[in-house]
Amino acid sequence: MNRVPDRNFDALVTPTRIHRSLYTDPALFELEMERIWGQSWIFIGHESQVPNPGDFFTTHVNHNIPVVMIRDKDGSVNVLHNRCGHKGAKVVEARSGTVRGALRCGYHGWSYRFDGSLLKIPNEKGYENTGFDPQSACYSMQRLAQVDSYRGFVFATLSSDAPTLQTWMGGARECFDNLCDRAPEGEVEVAGGVLRYEHECNWKFILENLNDTMHPMVVHESVVKAAEQYIATLPDDAVNERREAEIIPPFGASYEKFEDSGITGFDYGHHYDGGKTSIHADYSVDPEYHAAMIASYGEERTREIYAFNTHNVCFYPSLTIKCAVQNIRVIRPISVGRFIVETWSFRLKGAPDSMLQRTLLYSRLINSSMGMVGPDDLEVYRRTQEGLASPSNDWVEFHRQYGKDQQLPDRVVGGGTSDLDMRTQYRAWKAYMEGSIFSAKRSERASMGETQ
Amino acid sequence: MNQRQAVEDFLYHEASLLDRPDLDTWVSLFTEDGRYWMPAAEDQADPINHISHVYDDRVMMEIRRRNFVHPRASSKDWPVRCSHLIGNIRIHIDPSADSSAPDSGSATGDVLTVTSNQHVVVWYRDEQRVYAYRGTHRLLCAGNQFAIREKRVDLINPDAPQRSLIIYL
Ligand code: FES
Ligand SMILES: [Fe+2]
Repeated sequence: MNRVPDRNFDALVTPTRIHRSLYTDPALFELEMERIWGQSWIFIGHESQVPNPGDFFTTHVNHNIPVVMIRDKDGSVNVLHNRCGHKGAKVVEARSGTVRGALRCGYHGWSYRFDGSLLKIPNEKGYENTGFDPQSACYSMQRLAQVDSYRGFVFATLSSDAPTLQTWMGGARECFDNLCDRAPEGEVEVAGGVLRYEHECNWKFILENLNDTMHPMVVHESVVKAAEQYIATLPDDAVNERREAEIIPPFGASYEKFEDSGITGFDYGHHYDGGKTSIHADYSVDPEYHAAMIASYGEERTREIYAFNTHNVCFYPSLTIKCAVQNIRVIRPISVGRFIVETWSFRLKGAPDSMLQRTLLYSRLINSSMGMVGPDDLEVYRRTQEGLASPSNDWVEFHRQYGKDQQLPDRVVGGGTSDLDMRTQYRAWKAYMEGSIFSAKRSERASMGETQ
Repeated sequence: MNQRQAVEDFLYHEASLLDRPDLDTWVSLFTEDGRYWMPAAEDQADPINHISHVYDDRVMMEIRRRNFVHPRASSKDWPVRCSHLIGNIRIHIDPSADSSAPDSGSATGDVLTVTSNQHVVVWYRDEQRVYAYRGTHRLLCAGNQFAIREKRVDLINPDAPQRSLIIYL
């Protein structure tokens, strides 16, 4: 493919609108893969997916670069390019599993240690006096430029210029703390498998929709009405049925309720809605779980943990988490008009099984391709993708409450129905695409005296 | 009519309700404690401690059938029509079934396990798609009358990225 020409990004992104080509232009998509996905910290997986040495999990770090997360013998977790140092074959093909001893390429049998270094070449003497240097890093499976984890969540980046993971997360890091603190033992682990959902539209739609609080009462009206109609037919003693059906109506929460929840934006495009309240705030608390929480944290801290109630937290561009529900969605683009979402659920260590069961019930009803919420979201993304083919208007706007966003030292806060989340992510989008995001921030950090 | 013919007729009838689709009548084929289960993994043993594409009890079926015909369900603005083709039907007398278990509601009788291969062609959003699954019906039977206690749909590709599916298969 030809090298993508540079663009004038000022002509594509303004503080309150973006050009429709961001969703439709394949060349711009390639540039996003290089400059956003190729620079940002990308969520790879959770440490609990690879508990023992040799356990691995494979994924891509953008639309096509294959990587493998593998637990090393010393207990550390490595993220390696899944590319043989010999002629380039993918070394690990399975999605997950365990390798014994060493990674071995299925083509000519080169083998690698779990840190990616070359261990052995079959019939090696053919390389003698050829100038080939087996110690050269280029013949190993290479590590990504930076790999780090926060409370078990493993991220990697192709960029050696990216700031540390924690700096990049900024204040949004509190959301990982809240998710993990919701476990009586303070840790979570992946449990109950994965749902994969293919979306026939541009990858940015889902990130825009996470905290688009003006859509639920429209897009999800039907399922909310269906649930309410059903609840109305229930006799008083149908306690279990009512409790189960209750999970749905919050999706139709009012504009006022969403307004109260507030939206918060961070550097590098992260954002969440909620904080003091969210549409998940009214779910009832399981008594056995509550007792375990009180035993671990005491009454006051437990209340504090419950009270931090975010709805969707976006770690731009690859991950969104739901602290109060304990599931995450992992985004992977495929092409300009296609991406995959994976929903993973988490067990709160020390909590009764009922908590994981509730998480899975939620993932199934809301995030499944056969759910009663997700398909209506995808339907409107697809309509947007199709509508944006129209040359009648080149712009997508996000003016809601513009001018009222309030800048705090490490974050921007605003009304729950504002477009602050859009402004936040497209400011980052532009900075990534211009190539300036880390250099500008680096000099800022240097001037603030931060040590990396 | 022998039992095999009666079972086959029942499966064909059930499939025809999904083909049209007529979810209101289809839901009424289930027992009060009936379940529809589409696992998300091969040989999945557990419907509640592991994720599934669907694991609906009557509560969720009741909500889903109302949502299905709601005029403001945008994913349902597109007509969906299916064609089920059923083969390899086998009937197993279920030795482990205890039809008098306390969760079985008021219905009692023998439980039959019926397995089948089902190929479903789905027309949705201007496109035809094909699904293939092993069906496992656990049927409560009184003579030649049946009610579904569980319908399990094991797709041949349960772990593949799936696309929006707005109809039970
Ligand atoms: S390509 Fe891997 S050993 Fe040759
Ligand atoms: Fe939605």
